[in-house]
Amino acid sequence: MSGIELQQVSKIYPSGHQQVQALVDLTLSIDDGEFCVLAGPSGSGKTTLLNLIGCLDRATSGTIRLFGQDVATCSARQLADFRLQRIGFVFQSYNLIPVLSAEENVAFPLMLRGVGRDERRRRALELLTVLGLVGLEHRRPADLSGGQQQRVAVARALVGEPSVVLADEPTANLDTGNSVELLEMMHRLNRERGTTFIFSSHDPLVIKQAERVIELQDGRLKADNRRCSAHET
Amino acid sequence: MLLKLAYFNLWRNPRRTLLTLSALVVSAALLILALGIFSGMMADILSSATEQYRGHIVVSRPGYQSSRDLFLTFDQHSADWTLWQQPGISALAPRLRAFALLSGVEDSQPAELLGVDVDREPLVTRLLPAVQPVGGVAVSGRAWVGEQLARRLKVGVGDELVVMTQAADGSLANDLLTVAGLFNSGDTGRDRRLLLVELTWLQGLMVLPGRIHELAMRVERPLYAAQLARQLQEQLPTHAPAKGVALEVDDWGRLLPQMQEAIASYDVSRAILVLILYSAAALGVLNTFYMSVLERSYEFGMLLATGMRPRRLKNLILLESLLLGSLASLLALLFGGALTHYMAESGIDLSDSIGPITYAGGSLPPRLHAVHEVGNYLIPLAGLLLVSLVASYLPARRAARLQPADVLRGN
Repeated sequence: MSGIELQQVSKIYPSGHQQVQALVDLTLSIDDGEFCVLAGPSGSGKTTLLNLIGCLDRATSGTIRLFGQDVATCSARQLADFRLQRIGFVFQSYNLIPVLSAEENVAFPLMLRGVGRDERRRRALELLTVLGLVGLEHRRPADLSGGQQQRVAVARALVGEPSVVLADEPTANLDTGNSVELLEMMHRLNRERGTTFIFSSHDPLVIKQAERVIELQDGRLKADNRRCSAHET
Repeated sequence: MLLKLAYFNLWRNPRRTLLTLSALVVSAALLILALGIFSGMMADILSSATEQYRGHIVVSRPGYQSSRDLFLTFDQHSADWTLWQQPGISALAPRLRAFALLSGVEDSQPAELLGVDVDREPLVTRLLPAVQPVGGVAVSGRAWVGEQLARRLKVGVGDELVVMTQAADGSLANDLLTVAGLFNSGDTGRDRRLLLVELTWLQGLMVLPGRIHELAMRVERPLYAAQLARQLQEQLPTHAPAKGVALEVDDWGRLLPQMQEAIASYDVSRAILVLILYSAAALGVLNTFYMSVLERSYEFGMLLATGMRPRRLKNLILLESLLLGSLASLLALLFGGALTHYMAESGIDLSDSIGPITYAGGSLPPRLHAVHEVGNYLIPLAGLLLVSLVASYLPARRAARLQPADVLRGN
């Protein structure tokens, strides 16, 4: 079933007196539980596409349907709620809240949902354990390595059990070892929990791990290749 | 968690927060002190006008306060009415007033003779306790003379004064008085014309036995004397012993309208002072929170992307500001309270540089001192919280209007 459907989607950004066409008539669908990557050079429209799927931005034209809902009809508040309930984000530079501990960072989306303190703590610790961060839960982001911070960011994205996790260049600030570890972990979560993962990346390591590679160029779909998981081959 | 987040966010840039905090604390603490000193000045001037001569509430026959008509008297026993024994009234004293020509050793002067009950008057006003007792003086015919008047008459303690006036029956009344003491009320005008004598002696001289012109009262809350006076005026007709006696109850505000205006102008001055000081403080808070919001834009974008509603983000920033304001209020309460306490206990004596200043029917002694009043704490502290919230509203609104995609893109 296609949880994410884009029909003739275009996005134009004003840039001074000019306009930049970031996406051009893009039609695409991503099924639930897919593990796919948006590949392409810088400026190809990967982040724009992620932002549109993540309800962080609105399309200039075309239709985006997420889990049957046309996002163009949603108010800003409805989009915020949609993000909170259905979408998890992993950012290139982790973007953890520096004044909160690892556990509190993970539990933060649950706090926004109104989940009780004990339940928040239980679920955050459970995920931190799964992601190999036991014993680090009380550390603040500044006291964690880049790889550890990104794993906390992944835990934060997953703690609310979203339908889809969007990751914008998640390995860009990680060394190869941490990148491999992170991708394997996300792949495992994808298999075990059925969560849809969509990455943007031009890192060959990430592209190699993906089951589906959606290649963009100049805002247009260049190629869409499905293949077996790297783990299965 | 939101509260914790707000608290820690506040201390991300400790130097900036401390600078803003100190600006708020100093503004509010100085404001508390300034208002305390203002109140002290008002209390001094009000006390000089009421507690040294008039009393907070005066009961007299209608028209007496404006005409000083000798014949507008009433029964002295009205001082014992149960009507006056109600909460809020601390003490009352009967008085008779007359005007006479005084002759001293070399000179003569017109003067106001105020006949007072020497036991009850000190409970209402402070003139008598300031008098120095003199041994060997006859019980009848004692007089306490204002320093300025004594100087003009060239008399001192123990000297005799001749009093000459027209009594109520039209006869020429005269008698001898012995100066039992001198007083300095701080009001030179009053000290130049006033002579305190014993009530019974004056009643005898003026042929007004058992009659008085006024009942002066001291109340527990002078600033609310008008309310009590109105209440007494309403109760008078229903009070059995008062039936058939037309009496008027005046509070100090009616007796001294210029004092009333002075206190009203004090309220305006207080508001202006609060406005000036807090405008500066508000700019400091505004700057701090604008800087903070600008610095954290990317983080706010992330919070919005995570699903935080814009209104909640706005509330987070307002909460940070409220925490800053609350902390500043607490410290200002401590510092301002300590400064005010010092000024209330010790004060600053200015008598070497200036003399008393007569103003609005009262007199301001040459000293700076403060009094504690709840309003002088509540206004600055509530104002501080309000200023913190108002000044951070614009930055908070700006943060709530951020578009997460734009911010995360770095625009």
